[in-house]
Amino acid sequence: MDKLVLLVVLPLLAAFLMPVLARSSQVLARLSGLLVLLISITLVLNVWGEVDKQAISFAIGGYQPPLGVVFYIDQLSLLFALLIPVMVLIFWPWNRPSSIQEYSLMMLLTASASGLMLSGDLFNIYVFYELLAVASYGLVSVQVRQGQHPVVAWVASLRYLLLGSVGSVMMLLGIAIIYLQTGTLNLAQLSLLAPEALNNITGLSAFVLILVGLGVKAELFPVNTWVPEVYAGVSTRLSALMAGLLSKLAVIVIVRLLVLLFPQPEALHLMTVLGMLGVISGELVAWRAKDMTRMLAFSSIGQLGLVFIAFSLPGNIGLLAGFAIALHHLVVKPALFMLAGGWSGRLEKLSGMAQSSPYHVALFVLLAMSLLGVPPLPGFWVKLLLVMNLAVQTDPVYHFALAFMLLATVLEAAYLYRVVMLFYKKENHTHASSQHSLFDWITAIALAAVLLISVVQLPSVERKLVSMAYQSGNRLLYIHTVFANIGTPEARIDRMSPTDQAKQPLVSEPSIKEKAIKEDLVLGSAEQ
Amino acid sequence: MNMTGVEGIVLLGAIGLIMIGLAGLFMSNNVFRMVLALVILESGANLFLILAGFHGLGIAPIFLSNHAISDAGHMMNDPIPQALVLTAIVIGVGVQALALALILKIKAHYNTLDMSEIRQQMEYDLAKNNDVTLPASAQSPDSLVRSKVICQAEQTQPDHIQAKADVQQIGGSVNG
Amino acid sequence: MRNVSGLLFSGGLAFLLLVIATHLPFGQPLMLVGSDIIQASPHEVGSANVVAAILLAYRGIDTLGELSILFTAAAGVGLILGHRASQNVPPTQVKNNSGFISQKGIELMIPLLLVVGFYIIFYGHLTPGGGFQGGVILAIAFFLPVLVQSDARLDHNIISIIEGLAGAVFILIGLWAMFYERPFLQPFFNGLFAKGTLGELWSAGTLPLLYLALGLKVGAELAGLLATIADFSITETQGSLSEDDTQ
Repeated sequence: MDKLVLLVVLPLLAAFLMPVLARSSQVLARLSGLLVLLISITLVLNVWGEVDKQAISFAIGGYQPPLGVVFYIDQLSLLFALLIPVMVLIFWPWNRPSSIQEYSLMMLLTASASGLMLSGDLFNIYVFYELLAVASYGLVSVQVRQGQHPVVAWVASLRYLLLGSVGSVMMLLGIAIIYLQTGTLNLAQLSLLAPEALNNITGLSAFVLILVGLGVKAELFPVNTWVPEVYAGVSTRLSALMAGLLSKLAVIVIVRLLVLLFPQPEALHLMTVLGMLGVISGELVAWRAKDMTRMLAFSSIGQLGLVFIAFSLPGNIGLLAGFAIALHHLVVKPALFMLAGGWSGRLEKLSGMAQSSPYHVALFVLLAMSLLGVPPLPGFWVKLLLVMNLAVQTDPVYHFALAFMLLATVLEAAYLYRVVMLFYKKENHTHASSQHSLFDWITAIALAAVLLISVVQLPSVERKLVSMAYQSGNRLLYIHTVFANIGTPEARIDRMSPTDQAKQPLVSEPSIKEKAIKEDLVLGSAEQ
Repeated sequence: MNMTGVEGIVLLGAIGLIMIGLAGLFMSNNVFRMVLALVILESGANLFLILAGFHGLGIAPIFLSNHAISDAGHMMNDPIPQALVLTAIVIGVGVQALALALILKIKAHYNTLDMSEIRQQMEYDLAKNNDVTLPASAQSPDSLVRSKVICQAEQTQPDHIQAKADVQQIGGSVNG
Repeated sequence: MRNVSGLLFSGGLAFLLLVIATHLPFGQPLMLVGSDIIQASPHEVGSANVVAAILLAYRGIDTLGELSILFTAAAGVGLILGHRASQNVPPTQVKNNSGFISQKGIELMIPLLLVVGFYIIFYGHLTPGGGFQGGVILAIAFFLPVLVQSDARLDHNIISIIEGLAGAVFILIGLWAMFYERPFLQPFFNGLFAKGTLGELWSAGTLPLLYLALGLKVGAELAGLLATIADFSITETQGSLSEDDTQ
């Protein structure tokens, strides 16, 4: 298991050595990046399934927690540790001549993303988040969209950088407040101390500060002004990677912190409200967008708002709904971006596209239907899960969220329908044609295939998600796993068996809710 | 906490720096000044963080001789925030260098450091390249923006010397 | 409007921080982990400087991440401004006007700066200082000639080789420990890298080596960053100067 640190270290090594290797052999340098990605995938697949029953943690440098930095691996982090190299491999800049530094930046992005998912230390998360941010600033200013002048990307990158840096400083302040309040940075130890030390106004303000910092990448409502400029300026492969993967990473980190450190209901309510505003503002602006890329960029703000609403539901059911929506968006949005890559320009120019490229349009319709939530596509099931669980909450804020979400879905339907109508318009002398590169087309088909397979395999996907939600929602499991080797007095808590709960698939909502209540009881008794 | 001690004064300084930095970022329209405001903001945050490990009578966390470990240990300041701040400073330097490089390039191309002007020109370029009319958020008719861009081009001549001086100034302040 | 909202936001945050600060133990830190590290580090790491022990041993992965951020920034700046700028620069027509004193001063300063820089790096685990601080001094030593002599240029090839290799060495030292079945970045793994006596130069396992790699990398990175930005500014001004000449 110690070997999993290589997921972070090997891409860094490759990134450092690539410019040196390129002096003797360009081919070798370029291949080394792909080789490292393949090694990472193999490493993860080797341990796949080992964490289903019991999460694992190990200390970097052998310095036991809470003194040293630990990496924590459960199903959630392992899933993303697999998705990161796979997605980077898919959205590698295959289709354009790139300099070796650009590949180097891609490797740094991979390393930081993996580190962000595996790390179990608050400041370490900050460092990897910053690395992710700096690598994406660099990539945004370099991977310019075809036909676009690079200056657009530079300006977009500078504005993104200024906003992101302010966010990072806020996050650093939040970390400083938490450190002052508790005297530690280890997430497991913080989680032990959180019910007393962070369940107050100090903890809440620290959460808000950290939320502002992580929210920049997660496209959270007030700090997402960079989204349309950046996605319109950079190549579609990079915007697919950023909208699909990187935004989810920040969301996952927020959720981890929420589960472990911030038990207050106010924190959840804040996320609901911000999510609501994100959904409605994103979809409203997407409705008015005049070209495809901007439309997708704004719609991704809306979808991320939906993810925040889902994660703000209390208990494990919120985690389940959140993971489902996030993973669905992770598959659908990059595929849509890939298709949009060939359809640049005004929306009206796409009129009658179905005559010249029927397959592309058909794929677009399929993806749009899933995004909207048409049965039996996965998008329907994730939205159903969210709607059902928003409706059963007693807190009125969730009912507002439900109303906002349904309104946003109507808006979404309106603009997607408009585009589809435009595609199927009968035009006698259409000169509309798509300019999809082969790579983009294959990528979109592969992602759509994943979507369709998950329809067929719905029960097993559901089972996996349920067990993931239970494992990552279990605070005591986290604490116990991290302190398993040393057994601090605080961590002497009876070993719970989280796997029993995970074995049963999601049969009906009440059973899950019962379990959540039961688990909360166990949690409460263990803490007393 | 004791606001009258040294830590109280330093804390007020840190919060003041954070406030100045944020206000500068919001209120300044010059991109270079915005980066400078960011530097101030970061220093404020770093000062805040390093204060987290400060101790009224603390000494530097370095062991000077082998026999005094247990005695000296009680006197030392918390070493962790010091290590964190070192990391945070280096991160800040990297981000600032990147921002400066972007500003140099933008300045060379648009010949202005004014954020709203840069943004307007970028929106115009973006719309032109995407073959769409300007989004309503720019809040100005197409003809207005176009004329402004043309005026900009005409003004380039007399501004030339000034632009060079600015580039040098930026380079110089980095070197310094 | 923007000004008002900016003032409100910054003032509000400052007020929030002030309110929170009254509840926080400024001046009497809890040191929950800090005091444990102070007690344990002489035995566990063996470096006299506790901050160095935290940077390289307890939180070594943070330092690796931070190195990577500098590397990323340098790569980004190189990509944005273009590495080739230095090769295309025509020899300057501007006369070297930095004067005799600064010219000679540089010649005297560079060896001194190098000695001080390397001293700070090598004694980083014993005294205040370390790879970052020493690296910055090394960067200044490399960059001073560019400031003073207008025709001096840094060789970007050498810089990029140094930064790549130094970063790789840092990681390889970490991986070396894994080769001995130890965790990544564990500083002790064979006879050569032992704990040693507290306060001696060759102590604390691989910490001095890690600091050396760190210092070289930081030095090369910063010098490279400064030189790239300076090259760009010089080409810009010269480009516009030559345009002026033709007009």
